[in-house]
Amino acid sequence: MYGKEITKVFDEKGIKIWDTVRIEKSGIYYEGIVMPRTEAGDENTLVVKQKDGYNIGIGIKGAKIEKIASSGQKPEPTLPKKRVSPGLSKVSLLYTGGTIGNKVDYKTGGVYALTKPEELLDEVPELAGIANIDPQKISSVASEDMTSSNWAKIASEAARALNSGSKGIIVTIGTDTMHYAAAALSFMLEGLTGPVVLTGAQRSSDRGSSDAFQNLICSAHIAAKSDIAEVGICMHSTSSDGKCSFIRGTKVRKMHTSRRDAFKPVNSKPIAHVDVNGEIQYGSGYSRTGGSSKVEARTGFDEKVALIKAYPGSDPGIIDYYTGKDYKGIIIEGTGLGHVPNFTEDRAKSWLPEVTDAINSGVIVGMTSQCLYGRVNPNVYRTLRMLSAAGVVYCEDMLPEVAYVKLGWLLGNFKADIAKEKLNKNLAGEITGRTLYEEFTD
Amino acid sequence: MDIGKQHYKEIGFMCGLEIHQRLATSEKLFCSCTARLPTPEEKNNAVIKRHQKAVAGELGLVDRAAKFEEEKAREFVYEVNEDHACLVDLDEEPPHGMNGEALAIALSMASSMSMHVPEEIQPMRKQVVDGSNPSGFQRTTKIGMDGFIELGSHKVNITSMFIEEESAGIETSAPGEILYDTSRIGIPLIEIDTDPYIRSPEEAKEVALKLGMMLRLTGKVQRGIGSIRQDVNVSIKGGARVEIKGLQDLDALDKFIENEVLRQERLVAIKEELGSKKGISLGTPKEVTAMLRGTKAKIISNAIGSGGIVMGFALHGFAGVLGKEVNPGRRLGSEISDYAKMGGVNGIMHSDENLEGYGLSREEIELVRKELGAGKDGAFILISGKNKPASTAIRFALDRARAAIDTGVLLETRGAVNNDTYTTRFLRPLPGGSRMYPETDARPISITGEMLARAKLDAPDIDKTKKHLEKDLGSGTLVEQLLLSPRLQAYNDIVANTNADRAFVANTLLQKFTELRRSGFNVDSVSTGRMIDIFNAYVSGKITKNGVEELLKAISAKDQPVHSAIKERGIERITGAALEKLVEQAKGSGKNDKAAIITEIMSRHRLNVDGEELNKMLKQAKP
Repeated sequence: MYGKEITKVFDEKGIKIWDTVRIEKSGIYYEGIVMPRTEAGDENTLVVKQKDGYNIGIGIKGAKIEKIASSGQKPEPTLPKKRVSPGLSKVSLLYTGGTIGNKVDYKTGGVYALTKPEELLDEVPELAGIANIDPQKISSVASEDMTSSNWAKIASEAARALNSGSKGIIVTIGTDTMHYAAAALSFMLEGLTGPVVLTGAQRSSDRGSSDAFQNLICSAHIAAKSDIAEVGICMHSTSSDGKCSFIRGTKVRKMHTSRRDAFKPVNSKPIAHVDVNGEIQYGSGYSRTGGSSKVEARTGFDEKVALIKAYPGSDPGIIDYYTGKDYKGIIIEGTGLGHVPNFTEDRAKSWLPEVTDAINSGVIVGMTSQCLYGRVNPNVYRTLRMLSAAGVVYCEDMLPEVAYVKLGWLLGNFKADIAKEKLNKNLAGEITGRTLYEEFTD
Repeated sequence: MDIGKQHYKEIGFMCGLEIHQRLATSEKLFCSCTARLPTPEEKNNAVIKRHQKAVAGELGLVDRAAKFEEEKAREFVYEVNEDHACLVDLDEEPPHGMNGEALAIALSMASSMSMHVPEEIQPMRKQVVDGSNPSGFQRTTKIGMDGFIELGSHKVNITSMFIEEESAGIETSAPGEILYDTSRIGIPLIEIDTDPYIRSPEEAKEVALKLGMMLRLTGKVQRGIGSIRQDVNVSIKGGARVEIKGLQDLDALDKFIENEVLRQERLVAIKEELGSKKGISLGTPKEVTAMLRGTKAKIISNAIGSGGIVMGFALHGFAGVLGKEVNPGRRLGSEISDYAKMGGVNGIMHSDENLEGYGLSREEIELVRKELGAGKDGAFILISGKNKPASTAIRFALDRARAAIDTGVLLETRGAVNNDTYTTRFLRPLPGGSRMYPETDARPISITGEMLARAKLDAPDIDKTKKHLEKDLGSGTLVEQLLLSPRLQAYNDIVANTNADRAFVANTLLQKFTELRRSGFNVDSVSTGRMIDIFNAYVSGKITKNGVEELLKAISAKDQPVHSAIKERGIERITGAALEKLVEQAKGSGKNDKAAIITEIMSRHRLNVDGEELNKMLKQAKP
């Protein structure tokens, strides 16, 4: 929104965003389309798009503005006609928001979220040759704003679609928290009859170089053609185009803020690689279709679970804070094999008393490692043995974010003692017994 | 108005210039990579491959240039040198803030051209789909509007100025793949646009020279091949706007424009000729592979042999038209061939050519003509290649042939062919105007009063520079030449760091450089630092005047320290006692006449002996 001065002039002259105006300031004339104010710009500077396509900012002080023309009707996007190709599998596409759904209106230069998920299909006509895609809008939520209720809704819709004839599911979703969502769906969906493929974009689809197109095409191949019955993330394998990796939903993490190949398997390898032509190369050890005929969505989630990080000098009072707010579970991202500060020179910085108190008051405390790669171990050092003896659950080779989601899901669906017992037992591929050499390379 | 300008007025000549100049900032425009280009020794250490898709433009239409590039369906391969390109350049990280140094240079140029600067500048994305930027767009920001420069008493309007990112440089280009070097991406560029009312090709050249001079006077621009580029827009009545890119030699700017005028005149004439005839139409493309199996025409038999096809179509009523010359050495057939090549084939054959010269037999030619339905007054075009490229190429060729009938001159971006014919070839359709949207990842910048005041102080000042040069060199052509020369900055640097005679330095940089370049020496590759060392070697008596030229040759062939080049070429100056010894030797061999001694010594030691010193020595010598 523009500031008061501009808004006042707009009201007086009946000017709206996207109208064409003529501005006179210090004897110079400008003509252009009124653009919405960018968040980063000055609120008293009016931004107009000139005829050559460039935007410029003009300070409102001393400027005379006249409206020349009202904004035209924005053309409705032409949507592809829904057609069903016999011989192709049905795949449901659940649109939830995120960068993949951002579109630019080139006339005005504004960036919008898609209003209809069909627009995605319009941008990637190749999809129609891979599967009969059935798009459905679940939400329009930015990745950082996703909560467990969004995950629950996706899980329910995915189960419903799989149970009513879809071969697989594509979920388009914001990338920042995609791995949390993937973990949540991994736990929530039981007895999968087909693949649930989460995908998104690191580059918005307004640019020709967007990764969205390939990510969608590869996801469609996995969803329509693979015999995988798991939840996973399908995004670029490398910074180059050509190939995507499909990585288990409980063993994947966003490891880069901006690269196309941000998603990497941790303590695991991709379930499959898929190229844009639909060639799928499977790894070993994944759940195959055929084992189940009905998907159940168990979508309970207890939000009274926290994920906290221990670091040098960290204040254990954070645990009191959460127990004081009746939290039922805390996942700690410890150092190394699963440490928290214990024998600090300043005794107030030792975590053991707070951790013990929390456990004694019934809070489930799980330990993971901020190393991410590798496995925590409660036995190697004395402090680890002390924490373990106090009742901390060591979560094996489970990622901290996955442990957080798992504990929330467990507490939302099971009694506390069962939840605690299940926390470090494998349910959805989140814990493996063996860590392999090649799962950690440069 | 002179006769030339009058003529151009009559033909409805319109011409505008776009000057692109790379800036010599320390960092790139939107990241912290160096803005310095890598030397040939700096090797690339990674390769990435990308595809780009044409995305919808204004009102949902895909920009025609973008669509065209997508139809070419090429893979873009990017070579990465980690010292020169980071994730921002590779479209893997959002841009950092705009480089303040580049902005300051741009503002000083805006000031010198009396431009209006927006109070808040807004970085934009301009869609580019030829792969020259991995992001699919170029960041560009309007810095100035409505300025002018003076050419004598005539004002040339400068409509706008932008600050932009440099694109990637093409290393190699093949039908399925273009290889780009990413080191160049993101170096700041200034683009200066004139209005389209430049009155003659000659005036266009003058404007380009003047703008180039002003840019160099900022002292903050890159030098060397490719650091400044002039794009020209040309049209005439009945023609269409054509943009010519890739002009490397400013001296030839006017010749390229003259040829473009000629091309448009000829194409208009062809359209009129075709329009006056009856029965002008194009046939449907057909495959003619079967009847050419076993042909002796190598191009065709190779294509068929590797599983390809031959396609063709008839052009009814076109007999003789494809062979009409539109530019020196270029015919209408060449224009169509340019389009076909974009489909991924090597070119076309057509019936106005000597097809038997390709190895086709008379029978084969007749069979093809019959099959395609090209009658006596008709022509035909053949394209051979792999199935998909040949089919695409035939479609492109058909479209271009149709345009010869319906449109005449097409809106095109054309590339200069730098082979001394001053002709151009088709690159892509002229982009539509709707490729622009805000760069939401970079903040708008408020232009403050202080910034503008600073810009005014820093603005390039031709008069001041001229006076300064005249102090050193007197008034005359040397000053004028130096002002227009890309080596003015080098001159300033050299005279600031050596005591060499100013006129000698200026003459070396002007005449000598031109002479050496014409003889094939890449003198532009010699760094200013090396030149300072060369002149210092001369001033301190280590080499002679002739040795200066020899060192320029040596270092342009292989960059090396001046002292080792002196050694390598054996051009240490022979002076004093050593020179006297040479004189004695010459006398000893029976040369007594002064002229004979000079000839004898200079013929052997031209590079080592200073003629003046020798002369003086002989004058002083006792008879």
